[in-house]
Amino acid sequence: MSELMKGNFEVKRKLAVTDADDGAADFKNEFKKKALESIGGSMVFVEREMLFWDGVENIDGE
Amino acid sequence: MMSHYGVSPGFQQIMDEITSIGLDWHSEALIENSKKNKPFIAKSIKDIASPQQKKAESAIIISAGPSLYKNNILARIKDSGYQGTIVAIDGSYVRCLKAGLVPDYVLTLDPHPTRIVRWFGDPDFETNLAGDDYFSRQDLDIAFRNNSNEENRRNIELVNRHGKGQKLVICCSAPMNVVERTRAVGFDAYWWAPLVDRPDSPESLTRAMVKETKLPAMNTGGTVGTAAWVFALTALKIPRIAVVGMDLGYYKSDTGYQLTQTYGPLRDKVGEENLKDVFPEFSYPETDEVFYTDPTYYWYRCNILDLIAASKSTLYNCTGGGTLFGDGVVCVGIDEFCAGF
Repeated sequence: MSELMKGNFEVKRKLAVTDADDGAADFKNEFKKKALESIGGSMVFVEREMLFWDGVENIDGE
Repeated sequence: MMSHYGVSPGFQQIMDEITSIGLDWHSEALIENSKKNKPFIAKSIKDIASPQQKKAESAIIISAGPSLYKNNILARIKDSGYQGTIVAIDGSYVRCLKAGLVPDYVLTLDPHPTRIVRWFGDPDFETNLAGDDYFSRQDLDIAFRNNSNEENRRNIELVNRHGKGQKLVICCSAPMNVVERTRAVGFDAYWWAPLVDRPDSPESLTRAMVKETKLPAMNTGGTVGTAAWVFALTALKIPRIAVVGMDLGYYKSDTGYQLTQTYGPLRDKVGEENLKDVFPEFSYPETDEVFYTDPTYYWYRCNILDLIAASKSTLYNCTGGGTLFGDGVVCVGIDEFCAGF
């Protein structure tokens, strides 16, 4: 579209052009915001098997 | 590997993003709060005396889902004369006290800088309320919804009256205002670090927190209720553990999709006609009542099912509703559990 509509003057105010991928990014950002608002009492969680780790002695002296 | 239950690939993809959302959101706060809390760490969960007699035999974890009041769970526990261990989470503590049920332990973990302190009665109520409608929207405790100064004042008095000497199982990620508030009340604090990733990796966030605090680390399953279950299982070593108020979903009968937090972006993503794909439904086995979940609650559900499998233990779900059932979960009425079925 921008290739077809070329003007013969310079606009004072530059407009941001939206990429096609921005829809996905917008969804992720919006979902992230809403998810964060809703997850009270929450924590990062990646490890799915180990329940307890008492590893202080292993890392002393690091 | 997550335990999935007939969800669409699109839903699964959304849910998988929650892990990275959590990491992005919390990583910095976890390390920062651990450093700030270091001067206050006097005892760890390893210093908690082993429960004795009935307290060692069974435990009830009190989460804060809406089923807690819909099913009148707290009064039923109290009326049963249950003598086992009771673990409340921060969000259910005040409600327990109001019901005349004083828990043996209260567990808190969320690093949020302004919200969590409200569960203990917030001395900076008006400042922390500004621009945040979280409590108006949450369904954990409807008494907190109207953001009443009077309600907060009553909670401050209630927690002041009961909190002194109360065992608090507090994560090193807790925000400073929760630490200050609970110290001012006189809670008996036992600290722990959240086990969020494999600690044998040099880049591990868990390893960094343990190195900073010298605390043992406990998995949380991503939420405070699951952390309380892990605490009872691994630190207290209690063999029969029930959960209540652990809905991990919404009542279909009285909660429309539009009342969920992620309705707007999910509708925009999949369209109104496909919303069922992102709000999968479950029938609770005991009652056949229908519940549905969203990506966040479903993520919690998968996490706890994976941890139950990893622990090779049985979890007794006495919630009376919700989406938590599957391998390793036995759904049973709270009255039966309290009677020691």
